[in-house]
Amino acid sequence: MTEGFFLHPAAVFFLGAVLLPWVRGRLRGVYLLLIPVVAGLALLAASPGVYGVYAFLGQELILGRVDALSRLFGVIFILMAFIGIMYGLHEKGKTGHSAAALIYVGGALGVVFAGDYISVFIFSEVMVFSSVFLIWLQRDAASLAAGFRYILMHLFGGVCLLGGVVIQLVETGSTAFEPTAVNGIGPVLILIGFLVNAAVPPLSAWLSDAYPEATVTGAVFLSAFTTKTAVYALIRGFPGTEELVWLGAVMAIYGVVYAVLENDIRRLLAYHIISQVGFMVAAVGMGTELALNGASAHAFAHILYKGLLFMGAGAVIQMTGKRKLTELGGLYRSMPITLTLYMIGGFSISAFPLFSGFVSKSMVLAAAHESHLTTIWLMLTLASAGTFLHTGLKLPYYTFFGKDSGIRVSEPPANMLWAMGLAALLCVGIGVAPQTLYALLPYAVDYAPYTTHKVVGTLQVLLFTALGFMLLLKQLDPEPKISLDTDWFYRKGARGLLWLAAHPIARADALLGEAYLTLILNPTERLVQWLWVFERRVIDGAVNGVASVTHACALRMRRIQSGQLQHYALAMVVGVSVFLVYLILF
Amino acid sequence: MKYALSILIFLPLAGSVILGFMRGNDRWVRWSAFGLTVANFLISVTVLFAFNTATHEMQFVERYPWAPSFNIEFAVGVDGISILLVLLTTLLCPICVLASWTAITSRVKEFMIAILVMEAAMIGTFVALDFILFFVFWEAMLIPMYLIIGVWGGPNRIYSAIKFFLYTLAGSLLLLVAIIVLYFAGGHTFNIQSLMGQSYSATVQFWVFWAFFIAFAIKIPMVPLHTWLPDAHVEAPAAGSIILAGILLKMGGYGFLRFCLPMVPQASLTFSPFIMTLSVVAILYGAYMALAQTDLKKLIAYSSVSHMGFVTLGIFVLNSRGVEGALLQMVNHGIVTGALFLAIGQFYDRTHSRLVEDFGGISKSMPIYATLWVIFSFASFGFPGTNSFIGEFLVLVGAFERHLLLAAAATLGLILSAFYMLRIVRHALFGPVVKSLSTSLADLNIRELVAVIPLVALVFAIGLYPGPWLSVMHASVNHLLAQVGAATPLQITEVWTWP
Repeated sequence: MTEGFFLHPAAVFFLGAVLLPWVRGRLRGVYLLLIPVVAGLALLAASPGVYGVYAFLGQELILGRVDALSRLFGVIFILMAFIGIMYGLHEKGKTGHSAAALIYVGGALGVVFAGDYISVFIFSEVMVFSSVFLIWLQRDAASLAAGFRYILMHLFGGVCLLGGVVIQLVETGSTAFEPTAVNGIGPVLILIGFLVNAAVPPLSAWLSDAYPEATVTGAVFLSAFTTKTAVYALIRGFPGTEELVWLGAVMAIYGVVYAVLENDIRRLLAYHIISQVGFMVAAVGMGTELALNGASAHAFAHILYKGLLFMGAGAVIQMTGKRKLTELGGLYRSMPITLTLYMIGGFSISAFPLFSGFVSKSMVLAAAHESHLTTIWLMLTLASAGTFLHTGLKLPYYTFFGKDSGIRVSEPPANMLWAMGLAALLCVGIGVAPQTLYALLPYAVDYAPYTTHKVVGTLQVLLFTALGFMLLLKQLDPEPKISLDTDWFYRKGARGLLWLAAHPIARADALLGEAYLTLILNPTERLVQWLWVFERRVIDGAVNGVASVTHACALRMRRIQSGQLQHYALAMVVGVSVFLVYLILF
Repeated sequence: MKYALSILIFLPLAGSVILGFMRGNDRWVRWSAFGLTVANFLISVTVLFAFNTATHEMQFVERYPWAPSFNIEFAVGVDGISILLVLLTTLLCPICVLASWTAITSRVKEFMIAILVMEAAMIGTFVALDFILFFVFWEAMLIPMYLIIGVWGGPNRIYSAIKFFLYTLAGSLLLLVAIIVLYFAGGHTFNIQSLMGQSYSATVQFWVFWAFFIAFAIKIPMVPLHTWLPDAHVEAPAAGSIILAGILLKMGGYGFLRFCLPMVPQASLTFSPFIMTLSVVAILYGAYMALAQTDLKKLIAYSSVSHMGFVTLGIFVLNSRGVEGALLQMVNHGIVTGALFLAIGQFYDRTHSRLVEDFGGISKSMPIYATLWVIFSFASFGFPGTNSFIGEFLVLVGAFERHLLLAAAATLGLILSAFYMLRIVRHALFGPVVKSLSTSLADLNIRELVAVIPLVALVFAIGLYPGPWLSVMHASVNHLLAQVGAATPLQITEVWTWP
């Protein structure tokens, strides 16, 4: 344990949440913004080392491990918390919501600085149960149901994690949160726990299901912390696990395809988180220094631009009350600032040169190239093109341009714009001066993003995508209602080659949704009902049966006590004779 | 301090006698009962502070001859296994008095007497060192509990009370037979400590084990001997439910630890796979049953079956983590389930309803109540930072050491328990407000808060700082496992040799 004082940033957030109910009125906003500032200062003041080691059930809980990797994620989480809090400042009096968000951020920071798996488990449970309130507080039927599915999925992940940690503890006697070889059931379960949180298909349905139902501010927070905490955990615990390379590449494609098909603006962005996290997961699987640097950098950049995109989409929903692409359109007239800021996010995520996505995503691609993973490289490049197609072109086109929906609203409140502006500034800043980000990365960086070769290559891909978008605009028109029945494929099927690749994947996703219902929820319900009948009829029935048989027998036997002396005398005589016969014969 | 344990038993007993002669209004009765139970709690706390955690030996031992011709003694003492359960008892009893403050309006004096007698009998059961004395207290508990359910219970109280009585009595009779068998096999003594560590013949071990098992399994209760519990809970008044779930169920687990493992270790070892399997069945089955319920009391009753499955699982994995986890889990379950039944009682006092749907939107009208309910729900399904997490975690570690598949199945129980508790939480926080009830909902008053706050404090005290609680039981548990550890499994051929 390192000597010296370390104020844990998570503690700042937890304490901030606890004291929140007593801070009211005007002070509330200042107070909320002060929390990440204090946490950030605490992190800046901390020198690398291991702090906060506690004995717990014969193990060591390590709460504060500060090194380059945890510091990087700590910085971006605190930064994003500041932006998210600013974005939600106009909502007055929502104490529960703010507290849930603060605890959620605290939980994420707890995982980041944890040095053992038990602490990781504890803080990820904190994250799960605080984040679900960001969904539930939307307070409509859809969000209640989605939140419940969300929590069940994460409980499953949490139980896998817990089981894995316990098995690991029993087998190796250690719960250290260090690179773990995937040999045996313990590490596999831990890995599955992380993969649930990272939304790796087929364990990803919770993300696209729940995030669009969250509150406007809640979705901004959700988009930043859960999956990126999982990415951090994977970098820390499972670097160089080869299976992750393929999982990540498939994720990248999967998320993109599904996002292209989507009509709900936040669900589109949610699917796309899966795709982006795929880049990071693939990079973790490659495991080289360049790849891990790329994964970390991409997580950092991703949190900012994804937050920015969710803030933009949230602003549209907040002001119009609508969330479907088909119901929107022509908003560039009334929300030009929102559009501009959103587009910065869109360019960043599409990895345009001079925006943040470029300097991080190209690292991952370079790492794939360096490791001679040509197929992976190709898949990731394809996903990049798709990213630009839906986030940079489709969503803004149908929301802000396209057919005028006739909706006339104003720009969102100033604090929302300021928050978006801050995120946009950081996106551009990182893109223009990548060395500031690179300096924070866990390994020394010997990588130059702005070479002619890379810039030209990227621009080619992006421009061809844009060209394709122009030509195929008609085909891309969003369907007013996306239902995942089979006839949907039939209708859509004629629409050209573009969709062919999508079909198996879309079908698989629909099947997963169905499977959750038909394989888990409905059978559980039926089993419960069946067991309840069994309980009453068989188990309790046996008890009551014995009781009523005894009771019935007693009623019959009572008749023997007739009160007539002759009956008793007869019984005695018969009894004695039987006894005598027995004695004589045997 | 020498007579501390006798005082703990006889103070409530004497109090109940004095209460019997008291005239005047019910106010005085309530306050005296509260004062007596609080005094008893304070005494038990001093016992805890004077308790030496370094030894497994019985402490505060008192021995007086009672029926010398049969070697029966009045002998009491505590060790690391019983002390926390004694404390749990003395803690929950004043809470029971507070829970009945306004809920019980008829025959208040008789009710308080029943609670006090109950307290004496329960403490006696945990501290008895003589088998006959133990059995007397064990049986004595039935009567006040029978009255509490049968007199102050709900509409179907007679059925439930009789079911409870007969069910547990059936188990007790087998226990009595086992005690007598051990008396003759163990050298004509009822001294619990000298009955331990003897080498009984395989046949004796076999039959005594099963007698013990059925007696304690009914009390815990284990599937499929559990159906008295939901019925008893539904009809019992709040205080009755708190005692039932909080303390009476622990008698079964205590019996396994105090008698079954040390006295018939070979048989315990032989049949532990069976009991572990049954425990996992109980965990899952109880959880599924809880999912099917709409009545809150029944729901919590079935959840108790599930949680007590963790206790028996921990006991019969027969390693130190499992047993310590099980023991801690007994205390945890007493605290959390006691609190949940208390809360249900508080809700019932206001609305005369116990339906999950009627919880709709109470976070609006009763914010403090809803907050506490959320805390105890989370504690119930073992959220990290709460007490149950520690207990269940230890049990799971112990279980994974012993058997991978069973432990994995038990882990699934954690998901289910979160499932049914969150269902209520969701109703409470986000459900539609039930119009007909919303007028009668006032938040908790001081008396009700006083009853709950100690339990909240303990949830976090154990959850965040489990070390001291575990160190209390450490020496005794290790000694117990040393007694079992040397055992070899029984050969079934040794048992089935008829004369």
